[in-house]
Amino acid sequence: MDAFGMGICAAAGALAFVAGASEDIDSDIGSQSNPNSQVQLAAQVGNPHRIYNKAIAGEPPSNALWCAVACLMAYVLIEGYHMPLLFAAVAGASLAALFDGVMSISAYLGRSASQARFNQWIYLDIIRYTTPSIMAHVWITSFCITLIAIIQVYVLTPHHPFPIPVIGLIWGITVGAIGSSVGDIHYGGEREFQWRLFGQGLNTMLSGQIVRKAEAGLRNSIDNAWFCAKFGGPCTGLGFGLTVFLDNWRTTVFDPVTQATYAIAMGCFFVLAMNLYNLYMEISARKKYGPYPGYKGDIAA
Amino acid sequence: MDQLKGFKLEPKQLRMYGIIGSVVGIYLTVGLNAMTGTKVFSFIGCIAALFAVLWGANSIRRICSYGLGTGVPAMGMLCTGMACVAAVFGLNIAGRFGFEIAGPIITLVYAMVFGYVVGTLCNKVMKFNIPIMEEGLMDGSGACTMAVLAWSVSLSGSLSYNEIIATVYNTGFLAVIFILGGMALFHPFNANLGPDEKQDRTLIDGMMVGGLAMFGLGICSIVTIGFAPAMLTIVVGFALWYYFFVWYFRLAKRDAAAVVGTGLLPPSAL
Repeated sequence: MDAFGMGICAAAGALAFVAGASEDIDSDIGSQSNPNSQVQLAAQVGNPHRIYNKAIAGEPPSNALWCAVACLMAYVLIEGYHMPLLFAAVAGASLAALFDGVMSISAYLGRSASQARFNQWIYLDIIRYTTPSIMAHVWITSFCITLIAIIQVYVLTPHHPFPIPVIGLIWGITVGAIGSSVGDIHYGGEREFQWRLFGQGLNTMLSGQIVRKAEAGLRNSIDNAWFCAKFGGPCTGLGFGLTVFLDNWRTTVFDPVTQATYAIAMGCFFVLAMNLYNLYMEISARKKYGPYPGYKGDIAA
Repeated sequence: MDQLKGFKLEPKQLRMYGIIGSVVGIYLTVGLNAMTGTKVFSFIGCIAALFAVLWGANSIRRICSYGLGTGVPAMGMLCTGMACVAAVFGLNIAGRFGFEIAGPIITLVYAMVFGYVVGTLCNKVMKFNIPIMEEGLMDGSGACTMAVLAWSVSLSGSLSYNEIIATVYNTGFLAVIFILGGMALFHPFNANLGPDEKQDRTLIDGMMVGGLAMFGLGICSIVTIGFAPAMLTIVVGFALWYYFFVWYFRLAKRDAAAVVGTGLLPPSAL
C-alpha cells in the first residue's frame, strides 16, 4: 500500500459518489426508467400532466451511451492530439450532454405525440427549461465517469489494458444499474405517490394516479429534482461510491498478487456485513412503522 | 398549419431498401476509397448504415408492437449483440478464404440465419408465441449487422479483417458502435411508444439517431482515417441529423393532440 494508490482510490470513490448522485437526479428530472411507466400510464388513465417523459431505454443503456460518447471524445483528444487529460474529459462530457439533449427532446416529443387520443399536450416550455437541467446532470455524470476511466488507463500503474470507451461503457452500465435500483424507488415510490399510507405498496388500482399538482400550481420535473436531491440522489451516490471505493480499497490495502486471500476474505466480509445491516434496518423499520392499517393478513397468491 | 404528408412502407419494401442500400453503400465506400487511394469516401459507409437502420427500426417496431413495452431496448441490444458477433465472423471467414470482398454478403447471410434461429428458440423453446418473432429477429439481426459493418467500414475505410480489428475493436470504438447502433435501432420505437404511434414518425426518429451516430463516429474516425475525411463524415452527419430532426419535430407536431408554448393542463383534465 502506498499513499499515491490510496489517494487515487479515494479520488475514484469521491468521483463515483458525485456520478451516482447526479445520475439519479438526471433520471428523476426526466422521469426515466422504472417511474417512467407511471408517467406514461398517467395520461392513459385520464391524468394528462406536465412532467417530462424521457424514455431513453433503461438507465443502464442510456448512461452507457453518455459515458461511452464522453470517453470516445476524450480518447480522440488524448490519443490523436495529446491534449491534457482534464481538458479531454471536459470536452467529452460536453459532447455527451449534447447527445443527451437530442435524445431527451425526441423522447418527450415522441411519447407525448403518441398519446394524442388521451389529450396529452406537448408543452414547449417544458422542453426549454427542463432539458438543460437534464443535460447539466448528464454532464456531471459523464465527466466523473470519464475521469475514473482516465485514471484507470492513463494514471494508475499498471495501466488498464482496455481502451477508455470500453471502460466508459462498462462504468456507464454500472452507474445506471445502481441508479435504477437505489434512487428510483425514492422518486417512483415516494414522490409520485405521496399520499399513500406506509406499507401499502403500489396497488394496481393506483397505477397512473400520480401526483400532478404541486404546493402551488402544477407539478413539474424541476420540483421532482428538488425533492430527489435531498435523499434519493445522495443515496444512489453513496451506493455507487461505496461500491467503487470499498472494492478498490481492499485491493489497494492488500496486494492482489501476494495477498489475494486477504483481499477476497475482505470482500466476503463486506458482503456479509452489509447483508446483516440490511436485515437489521428492515426489522427495525417494520417494528417502528408497521403494520399498514389496512393489513388483513397475507393473501395466498 | 400546412398538412405534412407522411409515408407508409411495407416490411418487404423496407427489407429491400435495407439490404440493397447497405450492401451497395459498403461496396461503394470500399471501391471508391480503393480507386482514389484515399479514405475520403468513408462517409458513404455511414449513409449505408442509415438504410440498415431504417430496416432494423421497423423490425423492432413490428416485434415490439406485440406488447413488449420494457422489452424494446432488450430487443435492440440482442440484435446489436448478434451483429457484433456476426460482423467479425463474416469478415474473418471471408478473409480466411482469401476472398475479402465477399465479406458483407457472408455476414448478411450468416446474421439472418442466426437471427432466424434465435427467433425460433424464443418462440419454440421459451414459448414467447409472438407470430412474427422469427421474421422480426431475422430482419433485426440482419439490419443491425449491416449497420455495424457499415459503420466499421466507415471507421476503417476498408473491408480488411485485420484493419477493422485494429481500428474498430482494438481502439474500443466498437463500444460506441454497439451502444449508438443499438440506440438507433430501438430508440425510435421506444421513444414513440404509445397507442398513437405512427410508422413515419418512428422511422424518421431512427434516421435522426442514425445521423447523430454518424456525427459521433465521425469524431472517432479522426484518429483512424485522418482529419479531413473525418470532417466530411462529421459535417454530413450533422447535416443529416439536423434535416431529420426538423422533419421529426414537424411530424410530432402533426400527430400531437396540441403543441402549446406554455399553459395549464387541457381543460378536460383540470
